[in-house]
Amino acid sequence: MSPTHILLQQIVNGLSLGAIYALLALGFTLVYGILELINFAHFSVFVVGAMAGLLVLQAFGLQGQSVILHGAPLVLVLLAALVAAMLACGLLGVLIERYTLRPLRAVTGPMAMITTIGVSYILVNLVLLLTRAQSLNYPDPLPAMTATFGGVTVSGKAVMIWIVAAILMIALDRFVRRTRLGQAMRAVAQDQEAARMMGVDVDRVILVTFFVASALAGAAGMIFGLYYNFADYNIGYTAGLMAFTAAVLGGIGNIPGAMLGGVIIGLIDTLGSQYIAAKWADVIVFSILIGTLVFRPAGLLGALAPNRS
Amino acid sequence: MIALPRPSRRQKQGLLALTFVLLMAFPLVGGSQADIDIIANACAYAALALGLNIVVGFAGLLDLGYAAFFAIGAYSYGVLNSFQLQPHWSPFWQPFASLGLVAKLGIGAAATVHFTVSFWLMLPVSAAIAALFGVAFGAPTLRLKGDYLAIVTLGFGEIVPIVARNWPALTNGAAGLNGIGPPKLFGWSFGVDATPYYYVGIALVAFLLLVAWRLKASRIGRAWMAIREDAVAAQAMGIHTSRLKLIAFATGAAFAGVTGAFYIAKLQTATPDMFDLPVSIMVLVMIVLGGLGSVWGAIFGAVALEILQAWLLPALNGTTQALGQAVGSGFLRTLDLTSASELIFGIILVVMMLYRRDGLVPAARSGVTLAFEQQDAPISHGGSNMPILGLSHHLTPLAVAAPLAVAVPAVPAILSVRDLSVGFGGIRALKSLSLDVPEGGIVAVIGPNGSGKSTLFNAITGLVTPQSGRVDFAGRALIGRRPDQILALGVARTFQNIRLFPHLSVIENVLIGQHAHLRAGPFGILCNTPRTRAEERRAREFAAEILAIFGNRLVPRLEQNVSDLSYANRRRVEIARALAARPRLLLLDEPTAGMNPAESHELAGQIAAFRTLGLTILIIEHKLDVVTLLSDRVIVLDQGERLAEGTAAAVRADPAVIAAYIGRRPADV
Repeated sequence: MSPTHILLQQIVNGLSLGAIYALLALGFTLVYGILELINFAHFSVFVVGAMAGLLVLQAFGLQGQSVILHGAPLVLVLLAALVAAMLACGLLGVLIERYTLRPLRAVTGPMAMITTIGVSYILVNLVLLLTRAQSLNYPDPLPAMTATFGGVTVSGKAVMIWIVAAILMIALDRFVRRTRLGQAMRAVAQDQEAARMMGVDVDRVILVTFFVASALAGAAGMIFGLYYNFADYNIGYTAGLMAFTAAVLGGIGNIPGAMLGGVIIGLIDTLGSQYIAAKWADVIVFSILIGTLVFRPAGLLGALAPNRS
Repeated sequence: MIALPRPSRRQKQGLLALTFVLLMAFPLVGGSQADIDIIANACAYAALALGLNIVVGFAGLLDLGYAAFFAIGAYSYGVLNSFQLQPHWSPFWQPFASLGLVAKLGIGAAATVHFTVSFWLMLPVSAAIAALFGVAFGAPTLRLKGDYLAIVTLGFGEIVPIVARNWPALTNGAAGLNGIGPPKLFGWSFGVDATPYYYVGIALVAFLLLVAWRLKASRIGRAWMAIREDAVAAQAMGIHTSRLKLIAFATGAAFAGVTGAFYIAKLQTATPDMFDLPVSIMVLVMIVLGGLGSVWGAIFGAVALEILQAWLLPALNGTTQALGQAVGSGFLRTLDLTSASELIFGIILVVMMLYRRDGLVPAARSGVTLAFEQQDAPISHGGSNMPILGLSHHLTPLAVAAPLAVAVPAVPAILSVRDLSVGFGGIRALKSLSLDVPEGGIVAVIGPNGSGKSTLFNAITGLVTPQSGRVDFAGRALIGRRPDQILALGVARTFQNIRLFPHLSVIENVLIGQHAHLRAGPFGILCNTPRTRAEERRAREFAAEILAIFGNRLVPRLEQNVSDLSYANRRRVEIARALAARPRLLLLDEPTAGMNPAESHELAGQIAAFRTLGLTILIIEHKLDVVTLLSDRVIVLDQGERLAEGTAAAVRADPAVIAAYIGRRPADV
């Protein structure tokens, strides 16, 4: 392969990874925009999403690398698994908010953040115990379709990821901008007190935010499993840090920023691995994280989170 | 001082001495090597927890990359006392060799250098190296908001082990450093016997405990806790917040660094995975369990977690597996409880945060309740008839000599504001405002809500940056200075919505007000020098004296948390805290808000008495009777502009003022 082909191929790979990071980054950004809270539980919700999707796929008999379904049934099963993963995670997010974070909402300091670390530890270690710390084989139900454009291979899986991610992001954008609930969300993000006085049910808006954020993480988890053909208790950690970096890079609290950041971090991750060294890719991304926070805390697109004194 | 219902100092010391003797005797009376080793590990954990407690517990900075500093300290010792680096021998190394820092290996041209820096030397050096990294990393990042700091430190905590893995020339990569030299004492090597490490570990914890304890009770520790409680108020009370955060970060890093050297000397090997995120989280769990900010809590948490991991879980594991065998449950038989420790950590974090945020060994003092007689005591008014000795002798003789020279035009302005404009986004809160406050005068600022009164105070004290204009105080420009510098020049303030440090006691709040005037440095604090002790005693006496201004309202409540006080008493504490800064100009933002008329007049009398001490006062007040009673001059603000100025009576009669307060007719707009 020529250097140009390698570059283009890595860009294609980076876009798939970036789509996963972007979906996950949206969850960080939504919650931060509303509560100014870094939700470490998000890391583990991603893992739960991957596992929930896997369970549904297995329930439909999809195991290992064998392709047994085609056409509409395959699409339906994949959709069912995706919806199940998103619902399970959304519900999990609601439970996390309702029972571990709402009681701490009035408490200042790092208490809520510490709680989310605890929740994350609990979920990840439950998965660890239930899977006996094994790496699970994720089914690869798609027929091996690839298309080659001028020497650059694009797999069917990659296209599927892009389509699903794009649909979800467009849906989220519509939801936040066009619906009453979305409007309420933006109002709460700007000024919780004022929104409450204007009759917005703030508690409900926060619950919905957690539902949406966690559902997106669930989708990201299942897509991750399908793309890499494995899932274990540990996948949420690196992916979560990458996604958080993406959210910060784009401007935490800013929805388009999270999407842009996700794609950029995905590209940096793959290109950095290709051209510098895979072992340094994490260091590069974390350096970007630290650099962004130090030199441009508002991120590329500027934060939606208001200044509260 | 009042007597406190706490275990006496003697009882505490006795308990401590007993624990110490038991710990000393444990290996001698036949403790097994395994148990001695476990306690030595617990010592390392306790040392780590003490350090993280300074960062998270005292200063309120959530550091999730704490293990990175542990790693830096560990690798510092590991590299400098092992065969990892073997440069060629040259005469350059000769002086180091004669100091015993290196040894010559081999002979002739093939000779190499073997680093043999002594463990005892490396304890402070590892601490210093880790602290240096702490400063280098903290300087750019500590000005970030608290939650960003958590994620930045998390990133740093990831980077350090990755570097250790990927830099084999220095660290031997993932395989880890091997053959790290054990400590030697008078030629005797510690070897692999757990007992000497046990004693070193206990000595280390005892030393760090003392350091943490003394720091906490010092001006530095109080400043940390002030930052944790309310960073803005801390800065307004004279605390250079970014410097103190950096000191906290570096101190925590030093604790981790010295512990790293100890831990690695004990293991004689160091691998990158010993310093990954779970270690940072485990130390966090320890201090959360014991209680954030609690020195004894940190030790308790470390010991509890070590007991859980080293004794309890293995024991339970055997039991459940045996039970599984007995009842024929395959799940129980193969369940590995020791791998559930992180699950337990998570549960501890969540449960403690939800139900017991102060931890199991809380730092907070036991709530001092007042006796009925104290609660029912008739109010003594203090104020004008109280001799406030401490204050007066810090003020300029001129001011004290002419206490009642007020509102005379000849008196030069101590504060002059010229063309001051402040805007927030599209709103202009102050528009080209100019005003003068004569030295020794009491000037009231009144105006409807949103007229820019508090913004004026914020601009004077450096909390907001104006777009244009000047503020001069006693001949010095204030704009561009930090709030703590402005306080040091002699401008202290209170806040409209009371910004005390709620989880600190009355006396601690007032002591923090004196921060800028106390001089004790880290060395004096650690050694508890006579000078530091004397300074601390004087500061407490001065604080008590100031609180006596308010008669018996606050004096019996010195040790109570301010969050337990009534609203009016909190206002009084905030005024006392501002007075403790020995200001020449006092800015009071609605001091009587929330007080009933009797209390308001009592406070007005006390404020009037401050003038006899030579203080100049600028006061925002809504209660016009208080304004009339107190002020020589009244400035009326409306929509960021000066609407009127004059005596209280003149201002009250001004039609423009009436229009601003009661409203304009549409025709007038």
